[in-house]
Amino acid sequence: MRFMVLIKADWDSEAGVLPDAKLLTEMGKFNEALVNAGVMLAGEGLHPSSKGARVAFSGEKRRVIGGPFTATEGLIAGFWIWQVNSLEEAIEWVKRCPNPTGLESEIEIRQIFEAEDFGPEFTPELRAQEDRLRARSEQLSSAAKR
Amino acid sequence: MRFMMLMIPKGYEKAAPGTMPDARAVAAMMKYNDSLQKAGVLLALDGLHPPSMGARVSFTGGKPKVTDGALSEAKEVVGGYWMIQAKSMEEAVEWASRCPASNDEVIEIRQVQEMSDFPADVKEAVAKFPGLQAQAGQRGKS
Repeated sequence: MRFMVLIKADWDSEAGVLPDAKLLTEMGKFNEALVNAGVMLAGEGLHPSSKGARVAFSGEKRRVIGGPFTATEGLIAGFWIWQVNSLEEAIEWVKRCPNPTGLESEIEIRQIFEAEDFGPEFTPELRAQEDRLRARSEQLSSAAKR
Repeated sequence: MRFMMLMIPKGYEKAAPGTMPDARAVAAMMKYNDSLQKAGVLLALDGLHPPSMGARVSFTGGKPKVTDGALSEAKEVVGGYWMIQAKSMEEAVEWASRCPASNDEVIEIRQVQEMSDFPADVKEAVAKFPGLQAQAGQRGKS
């Protein structure tokens, strides 16, 4: 099972404050443990929402709203994608994570939809399309990181 | 530049465990995903099960506390994401605007932090763990 693990934004991450060397080292160790255990599939940090935008949809109309957005619980600062056997295993890993801000912080764990979750509606043709899409995207993704 | 497009469907914060997306909406979305891929823009994408099937871990005072996802009081949650490669924020917003989203959905566009965005001391701290990114990337493909 794959899980998306979302690190919530806080005042510091929204202000563009970067983690100090101590936290970076602890986070590096944690990430290394995730990689060594074969759990880590991806992980990225996001720039503050002041550099972002939102697009709201209303029929054919699109309204673009510039950031920053109010730091509601919905706002995130970064994420991981993990491969684990259960939600409990994902929770165990999150408990071992160094406090991402050193202060009050929260991490949300969400299961990712897999092709098997959709049942017969997800026909072999759609599955093949999805597989092609993912294969091409992964090639591009590793090139983009270089 | 890499951008993350976060789909925020209103009401998804209250969705019951096992809630599935509408088949017609998925078909429209697959066409859109296909157009992203053909343009060489799409790097990754996933949909997420509702928060009622997940959990939250808070770190108040340094101790992890687990809350059942169904008990969360969040007003906005992520329903899925696309990772795209674009030349500018404007281009990313253009792509988001083409999405066949419904009236109760909002897409948030956020730039991904690249190593080159960081100052020297941060780069140095990350450099202590060589191969981390590469290894994680390898596993993602298997």
